[in-house]
Amino acid sequence: MTFSRSIVCLSLLALVACGASFPKPEARVSSSEGAIRGAEEAGAKGEPRAALHLKLAQEGRAKALALIEEGKHKEADLMLQRAEADAELAVALAREDTAKADAEKTLEQVNALKKKASQ
Amino acid sequence: MKTVSTIAQTTFAALLCFTLAGCAAAVPPKTLLDARTAYKKAESGAAGTLKPAELHVAKDSLDKAESSFAKDGADGDTNDLAYVAMRKSELAESLGNAEAAREKKAALEKEAGITTNAMLDSKDGKLKAADAALADEKGKVAAEKGNVAAEKEKTAAEKEKRLAAEKASAEAMDALAKTLAVKEEARGKVITLSGSVLFATGQSTVLPGAMSQLDKVAEALKTQAERHFTVEGHTDSQGTDAVNQELSKKRAEAVRDYLIVHGVAKDAISAVGLGPSRPVADNKTIEGRAMNRRVEIIIGK
Repeated sequence: MTFSRSIVCLSLLALVACGASFPKPEARVSSSEGAIRGAEEAGAKGEPRAALHLKLAQEGRAKALALIEEGKHKEADLMLQRAEADAELAVALAREDTAKADAEKTLEQVNALKKKASQ
Repeated sequence: MKTVSTIAQTTFAALLCFTLAGCAAAVPPKTLLDARTAYKKAESGAAGTLKPAELHVAKDSLDKAESSFAKDGADGDTNDLAYVAMRKSELAESLGNAEAAREKKAALEKEAGITTNAMLDSKDGKLKAADAALADEKGKVAAEKGNVAAEKEKTAAEKEKRLAAEKASAEAMDALAKTLAVKEEARGKVITLSGSVLFATGQSTVLPGAMSQLDKVAEALKTQAERHFTVEGHTDSQGTDAVNQELSKKRAEAVRDYLIVHGVAKDAISAVGLGPSRPVADNKTIEGRAMNRRVEIIIGK
C-alpha cells in the first residue's frame, strides 16, 4: 500500500509541476509585442527572409495569446519565446541586408574612382 | 478487491517505467538537430570573431535545449527550446554578417580616401603648375605693360620737351624780331644784320657795339634744335669783286666764330662770303649800298 500511494503522489506532484500553476507570462507578452514592432519599424517586410520571420513571430504571438486564454501559461510562455526570437531575427536580417547593400554600393564607387584615377 | 487494486498499481507502474525508459533512449528531435547545426554554422562564420557575446547567448540557449532533451527527451519543452536556440544562432550569424559588411565598407571607404587623396594631389599638382604658368604669363604681361607705360611716358616727355623747345624757339625768334630784321624765306628764316653796325668800313672785326646784338642772335640760335645755320657775308658793289668777296668771307667767319664762342654748336654753323653777288637794294644809292652791306644768318629748315 505504501509503495502504491507513493507512486500516486509522485504522479500527482508531477502533474502539478507540469503546468497548472505556471504564472501568466505578462512580461513576455509585452516584450514580444515590442520585438515585433521593432521588426516592422526596421523594415523587415522589405526583405524576404526578414519578412518570413516577422510573420512567424506574429503568428506565434497570436497562438500564445490563445493559449493564455485557455490557461496554458507554460505553453504560451514557450510560444512567446519563439515569437520573440523570430522577431529579433527579423530585425537582424533586415539590417544585414542594408549593411551588405551599403558595402556593395561603396565597392562600386571605389571601383569607379580607381578607374578614374588610372585614366 | 485486492486483485483489482494490484492490477491497477502494476499497470500504472509499468506505464511509468515504460515512459521513463522511452525518455532515456530518445532520438533528438529535428529542431534540436537543426539548432546544433545552426550553432556550428554561426560559430564558424563572422559571428565567431565579430559577435562573441551574441554567440555565447546562442550557446546558452542551445545548452538549455540540450538539458531539456537530456531530462525530458523529445517531448515537452525541448522542441520549443531547440527552436529558440536555433533562432539565437541564426541571429548571431546575421549580426556577424552585418558587422563584417560594415567593416568591409569602412575598409573600402578608407581605400577610397587614399585614392581620392592621390587624385586630389595629382590634380593639385597640375593646378599648381597651371597657376605657376599663369603667374609667369601675368608677370610677362605686367612687364610688357610696364615697358609700354615707360615708352608712353618717354614719348610724352619727349613730346613735352619738343613742344617746350619749339615754344622757347618761337619766343626767342619773336624777341629777336623786335630788334632785328627776321624774315621767312624759302631757304628758311633769315636774320639780317647790318654790316655798318657789325663792322668798321673795310674791316672784319666785330665792333663792340654790335656784340649785344650778336648775343641775342646766339641766344635765339641756341633754342633752334637740330637746325643748321649759314652765315652769309654780303658787300655792296664798290671796289673789286675779289676784295669784296674776301671781305664778305672774313666778315661771315667773324660772325660765325663769335656765335660759336657764345654757345652755338660748331658743327651746326657754317660761313660763306658772297661778295656783291646778291644785292637786296640798288647799289647806286647810299641807302641801297648800306643795305647791301650786310650779314645774313639763315636758319635752315
